[in-house]
Amino acid sequence: MISFTLNGLDASVEEGTTILEAAKFYGFPIPTLCFMEGLSPYGACRLCVVEIGEEPNSKLVTSCTHPVEEGIRIRTASERVLRARRMILELLLASCPQSKVIQDLASAHNIRKQRFKQEYEDCILCGLCVRMCAEQMMGKAIGFQGRGENRTIGTPFNIKSDDCRLCGGCIYVCPACQLRCTYVDPEKAICGGCANLSPPCIEKEQFNDMMCYMEPCVACEIKDDKK
Amino acid sequence: MRSLSSVEEFCDFRGRVISETNFEPEQPTLVVSSGTCGQASGSNDIIRIIKKYIIERSMGEKIKLRITGCQGFCEMNPFILVEPGYQLYPKLRMEDVPRVIEAAVGGFIDEGLIYQNKKIQKSYHCQNDIPFFNKQTRTILGNNQKIDPIRILNYIEQDGYATLEKVLLKNDPNWIIKEVIKSGLRGRGGAGFPTGKKWELARASQNGNGQKYIVCNCDEGDPGAYMDRGLLEGNPHAIIEGMIIAAIAIGATKGFIYVRSEYPLAIKHTLIAIRQAKDLGILGKNILGTGIAFDIEIIKGAGAFVCGEETALIKSIEGFMGEPRQRPPYPIEKGINGKPTCINNVETLANVPVIIKQGAAKYAEVGIPGNTGTKIFSLVGKIKNTGLVEVPLGTKISEVVYHIGGGSSSKTKIKAIQTGGPSGGCIPASMFDTSIDYDSLAKVGSIMGSGGMIVMDENTCMVDVAKYFMNFLKDESCGKCFTCRKGTQRMYELLDDISKGKGTLEHLDLLEELAHVVKDTTMCGLGQSASNPVLSTLRYFRHEYERHIIQKKCDAFVCNELVGAPCQSACPVGTEAWRYVAHIARGEYESAYTVIREANPFPSVCARVCDHQCEQRCRAGTSGGDPIAIRALKRFITDRIDPSTYIPEREATINKDSPSVAVVGAGPSGLTTAHFLSLKGYKVTVFEAENEPGGMLYCAIPSYRLPRDTIKKEIASLLNENITLKCNTALGRDFDIDQLFKDGFSAVMLAIGAHKSRPLGLPNEDAEGVYPSIEFLKAFNLYDKQLAKGRVGIIGGGNSAIDAARTALRQKDVDSVTIIYRRTREEMPAFTEEIEAADQEGIEIKTLISPTRIITTNGVFSGLECIKNELGDTDSSGRRKPVPLERTEHILKLDTLIVAISEDSGVDSIGPARSSKIEITDWNTIKVDENTLLTSRQGVFAAGDVVTGPNTVIDAIAAGKKAAMMIDHYIKGEKLDQPAELKLPQIYIEPVNSESDKTLSPVRVETPRASVEWRKRNFAEVEVSLSIEEATIEAKRCLRCDLEFIQPDEIKETQAVAGGK
Repeated sequence: MISFTLNGLDASVEEGTTILEAAKFYGFPIPTLCFMEGLSPYGACRLCVVEIGEEPNSKLVTSCTHPVEEGIRIRTASERVLRARRMILELLLASCPQSKVIQDLASAHNIRKQRFKQEYEDCILCGLCVRMCAEQMMGKAIGFQGRGENRTIGTPFNIKSDDCRLCGGCIYVCPACQLRCTYVDPEKAICGGCANLSPPCIEKEQFNDMMCYMEPCVACEIKDDKK
Repeated sequence: MRSLSSVEEFCDFRGRVISETNFEPEQPTLVVSSGTCGQASGSNDIIRIIKKYIIERSMGEKIKLRITGCQGFCEMNPFILVEPGYQLYPKLRMEDVPRVIEAAVGGFIDEGLIYQNKKIQKSYHCQNDIPFFNKQTRTILGNNQKIDPIRILNYIEQDGYATLEKVLLKNDPNWIIKEVIKSGLRGRGGAGFPTGKKWELARASQNGNGQKYIVCNCDEGDPGAYMDRGLLEGNPHAIIEGMIIAAIAIGATKGFIYVRSEYPLAIKHTLIAIRQAKDLGILGKNILGTGIAFDIEIIKGAGAFVCGEETALIKSIEGFMGEPRQRPPYPIEKGINGKPTCINNVETLANVPVIIKQGAAKYAEVGIPGNTGTKIFSLVGKIKNTGLVEVPLGTKISEVVYHIGGGSSSKTKIKAIQTGGPSGGCIPASMFDTSIDYDSLAKVGSIMGSGGMIVMDENTCMVDVAKYFMNFLKDESCGKCFTCRKGTQRMYELLDDISKGKGTLEHLDLLEELAHVVKDTTMCGLGQSASNPVLSTLRYFRHEYERHIIQKKCDAFVCNELVGAPCQSACPVGTEAWRYVAHIARGEYESAYTVIREANPFPSVCARVCDHQCEQRCRAGTSGGDPIAIRALKRFITDRIDPSTYIPEREATINKDSPSVAVVGAGPSGLTTAHFLSLKGYKVTVFEAENEPGGMLYCAIPSYRLPRDTIKKEIASLLNENITLKCNTALGRDFDIDQLFKDGFSAVMLAIGAHKSRPLGLPNEDAEGVYPSIEFLKAFNLYDKQLAKGRVGIIGGGNSAIDAARTALRQKDVDSVTIIYRRTREEMPAFTEEIEAADQEGIEIKTLISPTRIITTNGVFSGLECIKNELGDTDSSGRRKPVPLERTEHILKLDTLIVAISEDSGVDSIGPARSSKIEITDWNTIKVDENTLLTSRQGVFAAGDVVTGPNTVIDAIAAGKKAAMMIDHYIKGEKLDQPAELKLPQIYIEPVNSESDKTLSPVRVETPRASVEWRKRNFAEVEVSLSIEEATIEAKRCLRCDLEFIQPDEIKETQAVAGGK
C-alpha cells in the first residue's frame, strides 16, 4: 500500500493506482473527457489535471496517467487547478459549443462567457474513438492523421476501411456529440446536435425506429408525456 | 583497413599514426571550411580551384589542403585559413584563390585579402587575434578546423579515440559515471539535466532484461540553430566516441543517432564515420577484442519539430507517429520498445571524451559552479558576425553579442536577443549583463534551449516575433494534447488580431492568462515552453503591444496592416507621400501640392530641412535599393506652386462670440496650432519674444539651408484675419499666464521652444570667444552679428554643430573651422548629407576627442585642451562609450569656441511657467500628458521643443497640429483622449503605365547642389531643385505600397457584385 495526502486527507491505495482512480475511490470528483474505464489512459484533454508536490515547486499533472507515489501531496481542486480547468473548458466551449457534455462541464464550472472567436468543430481529438476501436473492438480501423491544427481522425487514406465493422462504438463514446447524433449523414440526422432545442424526433415519425444513443433524452421524455 | 582485435594493438596503431604526422616537416596547409554553410557560399568552387592550381603547378609537395566542416565563422564564408600561421582570408572570390596559395607557399601575408576591420583600419594576421575568436573557448568546436570529417586517421592524429582507449583499459563503467557526475556536465539539449545522474539511473534500470539503448538526439529543429549540425558534420567521430563511452557506462548495446533528414551532409559524414569505425574494430560485436558489443544506427527524422522531444523521438524510432506521451515513466525506465533508453544531445556526447581525457576536475574549472564547461551557440539575426560561438557558461550576453558578434549589422541598435529557439524567450538589451547559464536564463523568462541566439534590432517588431514563433508552434505542435494544440492556435489568433490593429486591452489579459495555463497544463516540453515567446515579450515589451493596440502603431514598421504605406505612417504629420509622388509621376503638380499642404502647413520649409523619416522607411530603400528622394520631390513641387494658391477649407466661420486662444511662441508648432485653430473658428493671438516670427526656423537654421524669403512667404500664407501676431512680446517679461486667462482667452498654448544651449560644465565657459551654439546662430541670423573669427572650434556632432560650423565658415573673419566630436563619424547624430556638405566645404572633423580644459589669456579664449578617446564597451543604448586615453592630452589652438552639445528650454520662460503652477521635468522641459498635451494646469497646453527638448521641425509641426485638435476638444468640452485610428491609403491614383518606359531608373536621383567653391563664401541656398525630367524619373521609381490597400473603383465594384452572388 502507498500512503499519500489527498486534499489534506491521509489516504492510501495499492501500488499502481492512478491519481484519478484514487480520487474517485475517496469520493473527490475530477472531470474528464478523454478518459474512459476500460480504455488505456491517454492524457490528451488535460481536464483531469491535479496539483502535486509542495509550493512553489508544485506542478500540474494529468491524474489519469500519473500513478500515486509514496508520500505525495495531491490537491484536486486548488486555485491553480481550477484556473487551468476553467481556461481549458473555455477553450473547449469556443471550439465545440454544440457538445452537451462540454456545455454541462462548462456550466458546472461556472463559465458564463467565452472570450475567443467562436468555432464550430465536431471533434476535440480526445482519441476515445481511436482507443475504443483498437482496444475494445479490436478493429484498429481509425487513427490520427496530421499534426498541429491539421490533426484529424480518419481511416488510412480516408477511404472506407475493411477493418471497420460499423459497430458504432466510436460514435457511442464520442463526447463531442456531433457524430453520435447526426451519424455520418446529416440529412438523416436524428436531432441535429444537442444544441438544437427542439429535436426533430418529436415531430418526425420516421425517427422512431432509428437507433438513438441518448439516454435519458429530453425528446423521448416529452414524447412519453404526450402519450 | 585491417580490423584491430585488441586494445594494445589499437594503442600501437594510434601511436604510429601520431608519430608519423609529427615526423613530417611543417608544411603550409590551406584549411577550407566546407560545411553546409560553406558549401552554400561557394566553398566547393574554392576547393576546386585550389586543387587545380596545385596540380597544374605540381605544388603537391609544398602545400597541403584540408577540407573541414563548419568552423563557426559562417559570416566570412567562403574563407581559407592558412596554417601554421593561422591567417584568415575571408569572403574570397574565385579569382582571389591563387593569391592566397602564393602567399601561403611564399610564407607572406596578402594584406589586401587578410581579415581586417575596415572601420578602425586594422588587419588581423592571426585567427586568434580576431575579436570573434579571441574571447571564445573553443574546446569542442575548435577541433572542427583540425579535422577532415571523412578521415578517421585525421581524427586519430588529433588524439581522437585516446579517451576510448583509456576507458577500455580502465574497464570500469562506474568510474566513467563518477567522472561525468563530478564534471557537472548538464544536458546541452536545453533542459540541463545532469548527464551523469541520467547515466547512473539508466545503468541502475533493470527493466529491459539487459537490453538498453543510447540515443544521440540530433533533431535540431529550431529556426536559426545549427550547432548540432556543425558538430555532426564537422567532427562525427567525436560523437561516436562519446556514444561508445556512454554505452559502456550505462551498459547499452545499441545506439541510434536520430538526425533530421534536412541535414544530408551530416548524415553522409556520420555514415562514413560509422563505417570507418566499424572497419577499424572500434564499433561492432566485439569492440577491440574486449567483448563489449556496441553498434550505431542512423535514423533519419521526417521533419517534425516535436520529434526532438524525447518521448516523441522514441515513438518515431519505433516507427510510430512522432508524438509525446505523458511522463512518467521516463525513457530511462521505459523507452524504445519498453527498454531503458538514455537520450543525450549531440553536444553533450561531444563533451564526454573531453571530460574523460582532461579529468573531471579540470573540466569543471571552466564555467561557473553548477554550470560547468562550454556551450556552443548559433549567433544569428541582425548581427555582424553570424556563426557558431563557443563560450564558457556564465559568459555575459553582452560579450557574446557586442564583442564576439560585433554588434548590430544594421544602422539601428540591438533591441533584444531571443534564446532557445521558438519556445525560448526574448531578453531585452537592457538585461544583456545576464550571465548565460541554465539558471540565469530561466530566471529572466527564457531558456537555454539547444543554443540558438537570434539577435533583433529596432526594425524587429516584438509582436511580430511572438506571432512568428506561435505560427511555427501551432503548426509543429503534435496536436495530441488539447491545451497545446488549441492554446497555440488561440494565442496565434490573438497575436494576429493585435498585429492587424484589431486588438483590445482585453486581448492582452486573455493572452497572458491563456499563456500561463498552456505553460501549466501541457504534456511535453514543447507545450510547456510554447508560451515563452508570448510571456517574455509581454514581460519586457508590453509597451510595444500597447502601442499596437492603443495607438495602432508598429514602430518597427513590420506589421503591414498597421503600417500601410511606410512613407505615410513614418511621417509625424501623416503626409501621404506616396500620393504626391504618384501625382508627380503623372505630371499633376497642383494636386501634388494640395496633398502636401493638407497635411503640412510648412511644405516649403520641410522640403528643405525635414529629417525625412519617410525616406528612412521607404520600402525601395529597406528592401535593399535606394529610397525614393521624397524630400527632393517635395522641394520640386513647392518651388513650382506658390503657397498662396492653396486656400484651406474653413470648418467654421468666425463671429464676435467665437472663443479666443493664446499661443505663446511663433515657431513651427505655435504657428501650426494657430493656423489650424483659426480654420476651426477660433480667434488666435500669437505672442513672439523675438522681432520676427519663425522661432528656430529663423534663428537656428542658417539661410543657406533655408532662405529667409521662403520662411516669410510660408508664414504669410498661414496667417489670416483671425490670427493676431504680437512680436517682441515675451512670456514672463511682458505678460504672464494668469493675465492671459484674465484677458478672456479660453485656452493657452505654450510653444516657446528650447533656446538655451546646454553648457559643457568646464571652467571659463563664460570667457570671451566661447559661445553656446544657439546664441551664436541667433546673433547672426536675427541681428547679423558675426561672432566667429580666426580658427573656430565646434564641440558636438549633431545638426546644430554642423549648422554652427557651416555658418562660421561663411563669416568674414574666419580662417578655419574644426568640429570636435567624442565618438566616431558613424555615431554622429547629424544628417549624413549635412556631414558630407561640411566635408566638401573644407570643415575638418576631428573624432574621438573630448575637451578637458578651456584655456584663456587675459579672459579671452585662446585654446582648448583635449584628450583622445577610444571606443569602449557598449552601453545599454547599443552605442560604444568613449573612454579617455590617459596622457593623450593635447592643446588645440583656437580663437573661437562654439558649444553645440544640446539645447535646453529657455530658463527665462520656464521660470514664469513654474510660477504659474506648471510642472517642469528634471530636464527643464514642460511636463504634459503624452496623449492630450495638457500641462499640469487646466486649460494650458504645451507642444514642440519645450516639451520634447531639441527636436526636428516636422515633430514640432505634428505636435502643433495635435495641440490644435486637443484645444478644440477642450473648448468644446469634449473628451480629449480620442481612440487612435488606422491611417491606411484610401485614394486610388492610377499608376503611370511604365512597361515600355525606357526612362525607368534603378538609382536614386542626386540632389543637385551649388558648387562648393561658389557657395563656401556666401549664404545663398546650397541645394537646388530637381528638373522636371529628373523629378518624373524619380517619382516613377516609387514602388506604390499604397496599391496593396486600395483598388480602382471598378475592381471594387466587380468584387462587390461577385461577393453578392
